[in-house]
Amino acid sequence: MGTFFHRHPGLTPYLLLSPALLWLGIFFLVPLGFLGYQSLQSGIYPNFEFTWEFSNFTEAFSDYRTQLGRSFLYAGLATTAALLLAYPLVYWIAFRAGKWRNFFLLLIVAPFFVSYLIRTLAWLNILADEGPVVGFLQTIQVLGEDGRLLATTFAVVAGITYNFLPFMALPIYVSLEQIEPRLLEAAKDLYATPTQAFLRVTLPLSAPGIVAGTLLTFIPAAGDFINAELLGTPKQTMIGNVIQEKFLTSLDYPTAASLSFILMATILVALLVYAKVVGTEKLTG
Amino acid sequence: MNPRLTRNELLRRGAAGGALLAFPSILAACGGGDGGGSAEDGELKTVLNFSNWPLYIDVDKPTTLQKFTQQTNIKVNYFEDINDNAEYFAKVQGPLSQGNSIDRDIFVFTDNSRFPGLLVSQGWVEELDKDLIPNITNLVDAQASPPFDPDRTYSLPWQSGMTGIAWNEDVTGPVTSVQQLLEDPKLKGKVTMLQEMADSVGLVMLQNGDDPGAVTDDTFNSAIDTVQAAVDSGQIRRFTGNDYTQQLTNGDLAAAVAWSGDVVQLLADNPKLRWAIPESGGMIWTDNMLIPTGGSAPTASTYMNFVYDPVVAAQIAAYVNYVTPVKGAREELAKSDPETAGNPLIFPDDDTLEQVKQFDSEALDNEEYITLWQGVLGQ
Amino acid sequence: MTAAARIWRFVKHHSLTVYAFLVCAYLLLPIAVVILFSFNAPEGRFNYVWNEFTVDNWIDWNSVLGIQDAVETSIVVGLIATLLATVLGTMAAMGIVRHSFRGRGGTNLLVFLPMSTPEIVLGASLLTLFLNSTTVFQLGFWTIFIAHVMFIVSYIVVTVKARLIGFDRHLEEAAMDLGANELTTFRKVTFPLLMPAIVSAALLGFALSIDDFVITYFVAGPEQTFPVFVWGIARVSVPPQVNVVASAIFMIALAIALANVLWQYRSAKRLQGAT
Repeated sequence: MGTFFHRHPGLTPYLLLSPALLWLGIFFLVPLGFLGYQSLQSGIYPNFEFTWEFSNFTEAFSDYRTQLGRSFLYAGLATTAALLLAYPLVYWIAFRAGKWRNFFLLLIVAPFFVSYLIRTLAWLNILADEGPVVGFLQTIQVLGEDGRLLATTFAVVAGITYNFLPFMALPIYVSLEQIEPRLLEAAKDLYATPTQAFLRVTLPLSAPGIVAGTLLTFIPAAGDFINAELLGTPKQTMIGNVIQEKFLTSLDYPTAASLSFILMATILVALLVYAKVVGTEKLTG
Repeated sequence: MNPRLTRNELLRRGAAGGALLAFPSILAACGGGDGGGSAEDGELKTVLNFSNWPLYIDVDKPTTLQKFTQQTNIKVNYFEDINDNAEYFAKVQGPLSQGNSIDRDIFVFTDNSRFPGLLVSQGWVEELDKDLIPNITNLVDAQASPPFDPDRTYSLPWQSGMTGIAWNEDVTGPVTSVQQLLEDPKLKGKVTMLQEMADSVGLVMLQNGDDPGAVTDDTFNSAIDTVQAAVDSGQIRRFTGNDYTQQLTNGDLAAAVAWSGDVVQLLADNPKLRWAIPESGGMIWTDNMLIPTGGSAPTASTYMNFVYDPVVAAQIAAYVNYVTPVKGAREELAKSDPETAGNPLIFPDDDTLEQVKQFDSEALDNEEYITLWQGVLGQ
Repeated sequence: MTAAARIWRFVKHHSLTVYAFLVCAYLLLPIAVVILFSFNAPEGRFNYVWNEFTVDNWIDWNSVLGIQDAVETSIVVGLIATLLATVLGTMAAMGIVRHSFRGRGGTNLLVFLPMSTPEIVLGASLLTLFLNSTTVFQLGFWTIFIAHVMFIVSYIVVTVKARLIGFDRHLEEAAMDLGANELTTFRKVTFPLLMPAIVSAALLGFALSIDDFVITYFVAGPEQTFPVFVWGIARVSVPPQVNVVASAIFMIALAIALANVLWQYRSAKRLQGAT
């Protein structure tokens, strides 16, 4: 079999890619096509007609600009917070945990094997107005007398951060783990301080992981709805909530579909900007 | 034992009418093995597929489902897969809209959502076989003619519930009116309303002196404005499904628009909770049994007849703790469980029932109203 | 060195460890509450208020109707969907990073799209696909499997790509110089080096699968997974058995991780003993 690939080297990438692409082609692109069809329909449920209704997009965008912008803001904040929280943790696991590496890796993912609803009910318990955390924050004057943590923007962003932390952490670990210790030794031999070694060796080498983690956190976070629903007030509504509601309650499938495409398109635009900033090689290899 | 004999006799008598009619069909169906699903021939099947909400039927053995099977030889596949009207509808609307069966004979939707009305108006439900439901005379008068199904051609109530205001006595004194809920500064930020338009807008309309059973643009808009003002002022913390329960119990919330059945349950955990119908009135909603396209009307109707027997209804009500639509169930239950039978949240008296209203079912389907309300829920 | 300097050096050296443990504590805090309340015997139907300690919930863990089937389905689907997605995703990552070919940009795009699509419309559209092809796809276990592989693959690709970008090819080149063909090189050099990345990606994939509610709800047909079960029942009750199952899943995962650590120590000892 080795000789087949020697004679047809151009085939290799297609062979490697085709199973995944086939799966996504059938089970993602076909449904997406149907969604596209729906986005150009008009009418009232259940009598929708295909009318090339491009105005669905313009109307949806202008009606829900606020929620769209808010979603990107929250996703951005959560991604940054997740990065700042996760990086030192993962650095410790990669360089200091020794044989306990895999244990700690699993330790930080395992909480997410537990259903989202149960985790969040527990947080509602912990962060309750009359609970210990709020009480403590009130004692040290961070929160006012009537202050609360839940049903605030802080709660929603914190919820998103918490729930996507492993998606930031694990990709960073993946690229930290491969760093040869000899490189760091070499840096030391060349009189670099630990900080310099970090900034000029470790950090750049972990860049692909940071990029990957950022993508795996930001992209799904932008479309998240559940944190805003359980932890926010009406003023924290994200675009995911709007789509959810349009689809389920209003039975307005065309608007839900067009909003979904708008979300996808804006995410892709953000990705392109991001790729320019970090350099496409880190994004696409 | 005497009571058991009496109950069996009642059951036999109650089902006699229906069973007589169905007798030849039962024999025919028994020979033919598993027959759940399509009802092209209008025959009684040997299997009933019933989708319902969780914890909505009794569980102590022998359960009412088991008794039904014993009595009629119809096996019941009971599915607790409805957790939300809109989500369940989204799942089943595909096949139904194309006239296909969803392999169910009975499913249950709440009449304060748009879905029962939508199902009926689109013709996605089968007609009941009322010949097989002589017990339909046990339906309480208040439920005889709902707006979405005035002749009870397609639906029968399963259980009802009331929407009012619940409060936590540790946090606040009694909250007796919607106005207090939305304007009392002592409650600021510690109040929630339900996401369900019929529940929240209905209560506010009653507070405004308007009739939620006959919604007009003016009355709707003025109710919306009231709620929006309370959101803007920070009075209303959130709009919830039934997730107000945790925070009401632990005191994060002082008061909430709440369902009667939930509070009955929560009292066990926190006896300081109270529920009441607001001064200007409350709302009543009913979960209705309907037969989806392709379901077997005779089989489903036989089952519905069974649960409209007061004895059976009493056994269900004792566990479920919502409001039963069957006359005589309270008297039956009083024989074995007078405490539950006397609970006004489970068996409201006529005066209480006078105070609760149903929401205009056409308004539930009105796209403009829905959009306006959703605009308040998510800004 | 002065005492103060020594203390400062001690603090600096261990501050990272302390920080790491603090973040772990933060991650595990709600789980601790979940485990705690699994031992609660609530008065009513909701498990919100601590009442009294009991182990009955752990003994009768499957007394809640449907919980056992739901958990079994979740775990089995999680394992096999993650397995297939990891294979597909790793192959795809290798293809994207290591070769230049026409359609590279489009492929990258296709990989990102599922992550950016809201689950509700994805689930509903997938359901429509299945409903329109009932001769091939019957709603149930396998449609859940199909859906899970679909949305996990992207995460695998992105994670494994992060390792492949900047992968040192010299070892592979050395192997090939020594006569190994591509397959053998992959088996003996590339794959072992990729292992940590593949394992990390698989962990993420499993977490995604076992926690998914929205898409699974639409395509599950008559089956239930654990999240679908929990969301369904939470409307009227939060039985402590739900906490029991959740805690058990968590603790079994940790036990496996601990076993891995012990195995590593034993292997290292054996190596030491052998030298």
